[in-house]
Amino acid sequence: MKTLKTLNKLATLGLILALTACGSESVTKNSHKNTSEVIKIGIGQFAEHGSLDNCREGFIQGLAESGFREGENLEIIYENAGADIGTATQIADNFIAKNVNLICAITTPMAQVSYNEAKKTDIPVVYTAITNPVAAELADKDGNSTGNITGTSDRLPIEEQLKMIKKIMPDVKKIGILYCTSEVNSEMSIKEYKERAKELGVEIVEQAVTSQADIPLALDNILTKVDCLNNITDNTVVNSLDIMLDKARKAGKPVFGSEIEQVKKGCVASMGLDYIALGKETGKMAAKVLRGEKANSMKFKIFNDSKLYGNEKAAKEFNLSLPEGFEEVGR
Amino acid sequence: MTIILGILTEGLVYAILSLGVYITYKILDFPDLSVDGTFPLGAAVTVSIIMKGFSPLLAIVIATLIGVLFGVITGIIHVKFRIRDLISGIIVMTALYSINLRIAGRANVPLFSKETLFDNDFLKSLSIGYYTDVILLLFIVIIFKIILDFYLKTKSGLLLRAVGDNEVLVTSLAKNKGNVKILGLAIANGFAALAGSIYCQLNGFFEISMGTGTVVIGLANVIIGISIAKHIKLKATTCVVIGSIIYKACVSLAISLGLVASDLKLITAGLLFLILAISGIKKRGVKNDRA
Repeated sequence: MKTLKTLNKLATLGLILALTACGSESVTKNSHKNTSEVIKIGIGQFAEHGSLDNCREGFIQGLAESGFREGENLEIIYENAGADIGTATQIADNFIAKNVNLICAITTPMAQVSYNEAKKTDIPVVYTAITNPVAAELADKDGNSTGNITGTSDRLPIEEQLKMIKKIMPDVKKIGILYCTSEVNSEMSIKEYKERAKELGVEIVEQAVTSQADIPLALDNILTKVDCLNNITDNTVVNSLDIMLDKARKAGKPVFGSEIEQVKKGCVASMGLDYIALGKETGKMAAKVLRGEKANSMKFKIFNDSKLYGNEKAAKEFNLSLPEGFEEVGR
Repeated sequence: MTIILGILTEGLVYAILSLGVYITYKILDFPDLSVDGTFPLGAAVTVSIIMKGFSPLLAIVIATLIGVLFGVITGIIHVKFRIRDLISGIIVMTALYSINLRIAGRANVPLFSKETLFDNDFLKSLSIGYYTDVILLLFIVIIFKIILDFYLKTKSGLLLRAVGDNEVLVTSLAKNKGNVKILGLAIANGFAALAGSIYCQLNGFFEISMGTGTVVIGLANVIIGISIAKHIKLKATTCVVIGSIIYKACVSLAISLGLVASDLKLITAGLLFLILAISGIKKRGVKNDRA
């Protein structure tokens, strides 16, 4: 029995040592590598999500178009935080330990942790998919960056979206929006929606949820009050799009999306941002930074090139006709 | 080196929380879920005080006190209203989600432009550079660990330990075990809010989702700590601190192995299992009372 105990003791200590050793080993290895000509960047994405994945893809394409190709002169370390702040922080630490030349941060919290961790170094951060960099304190009111950080902002084309809904459903009076209270971007979008809607003579009915689990009940409630549903880029709600489409179909109310991926899945239409294009734009900014331009002297760019995406099949289900010139993305 | 510093900073912040969880889970045998709410509560209170222009130190003190208050509320719900331990925690945790949003004002509040405990002129003038965060945190953790160790040896602390071990004894001493439980929960949630306050100052922002999973991390840290304590002759509280650092090392290791993002949690779980399996948690009920 006693030998067993000693064995256990040794094993525990061994494991602890192994853990620490692993950490230090990777550090020394990487400091050597940095002398080669390959540029190393870290892409930190906060959560698993269709449009964020598109952002990342676009970012890599944008870099490639500017001459930084993965596998040739570029090494990409991609990490996903699974919507956990603690993990996001450790991912940023990990990038810094690997001494990357640039961190690409996708979404607000990822950008904030990366910025905070990279502050102690001279590693620049380029962000994307942030609705309001000013509110996130990553830029000042005039759009100048607050540190070694710059990027792109994905402001929703809200007015265009509302006009599109009115065109497709001329009698629309009440538009329902579901959003999650934990998402700061959603709150800002709702506010803008309400202002714009007033000008166009429609009413926005908002319904807050606190988690994915609340969504079915919230849908049952809101669907009795509105003529149609409209999504914003709320990650929690968008992740439950299937159940939303299902319940809305049964209630005979169409759903409008906030980006192309949602229309593909079955929303009627959307004035959507092309996240691949947003990513590309960001990739090009990153390329400039990698070539020596200072991130802190680059203003962030607002990206609002929107395009009408439609899903003919979904529209027919509700006897709606889509305006001329839309891009069919339904399957 | 950066990785190790990162692990240490993250581990030390969660060590503060784990000291609290140690009191409820290990000493009182009370699975307290309210820390999922009081951890971000500490952060919410802190950002709202700092945004109003007050000192970060004041923010920490008030955050901790408000954490204590909600610990007392969990305790009262459990003791006075006879609601089960898990449910009392769930009630407070659920309520705190809305309260935290109210206190902070919105779901994400940055502190980058403000002075915090970790980013101020005084620290810059010391110019310790890279190690500032870790040194400061180590200092904080040691202070609170010593205070807790000292407290557990006082009469009130001994009573606290007695409630977890033998409730009948406490009653026979003509003491109200309910009040002792409330006290324990108050201290534990004070620690959780303190950790939250420090964490948001370290990260530079408050985010409503930062509390999700706090209980799990806290419990994991405590269990790792306790299982180490069986093999190493150190105080249980010290082991809890070490446990927190090991947990974060596991996460960091999983990240640096460069695994597919979605597998990260699985790997973390696997590493945790490995540590616990090797150190061999024996039958529950064998209390470790080296505190």
